[in-house]
Amino acid sequence: MPTTPDLLPHEVARWAQRAGLPLEPGRLDLVTATANHIQAVIAVLRELDPGEAAPAPAYPARRGVEEGRDDAAV
Amino acid sequence: MRPYELTLAEAAEAIAARELSPVELTDSVLRRVESVEGRLNAYVTVLAEAARRAAVRAERDIAAGRHLGPLHGIPMGIKDLIDVAGLPTKAGSRVRESAPVADRDSTVASRLRAAGAVLLGKTHTHEFAYGLTTPRTRNAWAHDRVAGGSSGGSAVAVAAGEATFALGTDTGGSIRVPAALSGVVGLKPTYGLVPVRGVTPLSRSLDHVGPITRTVEDAGLVLEALIGGAGDTASPAGGSLAGLRVGVPRNHYFDRVHPEVEEAVRAAIDVLGALGAELVGVDIPMSEYLQATQWGLMVPEATAYHQRTLRTSPELYSDDVRTLLEAGGLVPAGDYLRARWSRTLMRDAWTRLFETVDVVAAPTVPATAAHRDQRTIPWPDGSEESVSDAYVRLSAPANITGLPALTLPVGADSAGLPIGMQLIGRPFAEATVVRTGRAYEAAHAPGPGERGRGLPPHATAAHSAAPTGAMSLR
Repeated sequence: MPTTPDLLPHEVARWAQRAGLPLEPGRLDLVTATANHIQAVIAVLRELDPGEAAPAPAYPARRGVEEGRDDAAV
Repeated sequence: MRPYELTLAEAAEAIAARELSPVELTDSVLRRVESVEGRLNAYVTVLAEAARRAAVRAERDIAAGRHLGPLHGIPMGIKDLIDVAGLPTKAGSRVRESAPVADRDSTVASRLRAAGAVLLGKTHTHEFAYGLTTPRTRNAWAHDRVAGGSSGGSAVAVAAGEATFALGTDTGGSIRVPAALSGVVGLKPTYGLVPVRGVTPLSRSLDHVGPITRTVEDAGLVLEALIGGAGDTASPAGGSLAGLRVGVPRNHYFDRVHPEVEEAVRAAIDVLGALGAELVGVDIPMSEYLQATQWGLMVPEATAYHQRTLRTSPELYSDDVRTLLEAGGLVPAGDYLRARWSRTLMRDAWTRLFETVDVVAAPTVPATAAHRDQRTIPWPDGSEESVSDAYVRLSAPANITGLPALTLPVGADSAGLPIGMQLIGRPFAEATVVRTGRAYEAAHAPGPGERGRGLPPHATAAHSAAPTGAMSLR
């Protein structure tokens, strides 16, 4: 899998502005380093082939999975 | 044994038998708070007078035959991330310093109130639950160690006898991690089983709320109240585990785990085997995607919740939380969607895993409580890991999949710091998880008054410098 290029501080400033969360100039280096670290961790998800899986918003809270019960949703 | 040392079940039994009054119990716990709180700082606010009044009401009602059940008259703490009518929810943050009081109870506070529990106060959380240490609170077993987090105040209050039980929240391990590091029990229920209305979100698709107690039996009793008495976790425990299949992970859960933690947990698993359970080796699916999935969901969801205050008053956040929230705004939507796909795939894979076993048993955290100034944990393979990453690593799977997960104490390391074992079950199989934990407890844990069961030796003067963050007595 190709590696994800790191963002540079001036790019982070622009991205943050686009995201509606502008950064103070003094915070750019710290946020850039953290954002690049986060991206390095989550980039591995790009290996996954989801097939027909739905991008579930949350675990479907439903009773009855155990012991064959099929009673009402919680 | 003094009343503050009683488990919930013991106190409830004594109250039902009219051998102990809620007022005696509450006074005993409040005296304990006065005695140890200056060193531990578990509470943001202690509502001593309100608690005494509630205890008097409980005593009167019980005497008049209006006994509401096992939680009636039992003193407890609620994490300051959870709304209680008439109190501010400060979430451990200066952002909420001037927060108005909540105008109504969260669902869980309301249910505990209906069950007759006595609120002692709000407990400290890592700021907005976004961290694993709870810096304001000290570990009850060693004051120079972290309490764990983010429900550190609740875990320490229960461990130290400052509450008979408490509520915590858990998005990546925030009930189980501090419970394990504090030598108490924590139960993260199935996602959606216990309502989170009135609980400040960290990452709503991963957030859970649940009990922190001194025994597994107590956790079952509190869970019953939290779900409105509709469950089956408060039923008597049988001693034998014959017929139960316990999955023992071959990967992930014993990788990069401190040898003393591994030894204690494997010994506890052997106890389950000796009780009749069949021990089955299992492969944890998609383990290489766990951290990515947890981060890919939690980080952007947390930033989205905080976007308004990040714009208006970012300087009020502590630096570590502010940085995470700001960086979270840069996660691409495509990666967030991939994390949601991954959760679907992971959930399906764990469902298949649970066709072969009933419970998975594993360490809760890979190491015991870190020093308060410690940033990383070195592993024998030469790698280093941040304390937070290490603490989340073994608890996150149950948040991603939504599966119920219980931690219970199974020993201590050579420094005397507690070690927790985690039991994970099928969705809504809290009763199975609790039954397994109770069987271990009955077979292995010391009984009332016996050495080893009780509370930490707080009276030691070492490390007793007053922590930062003042508690207010109201």
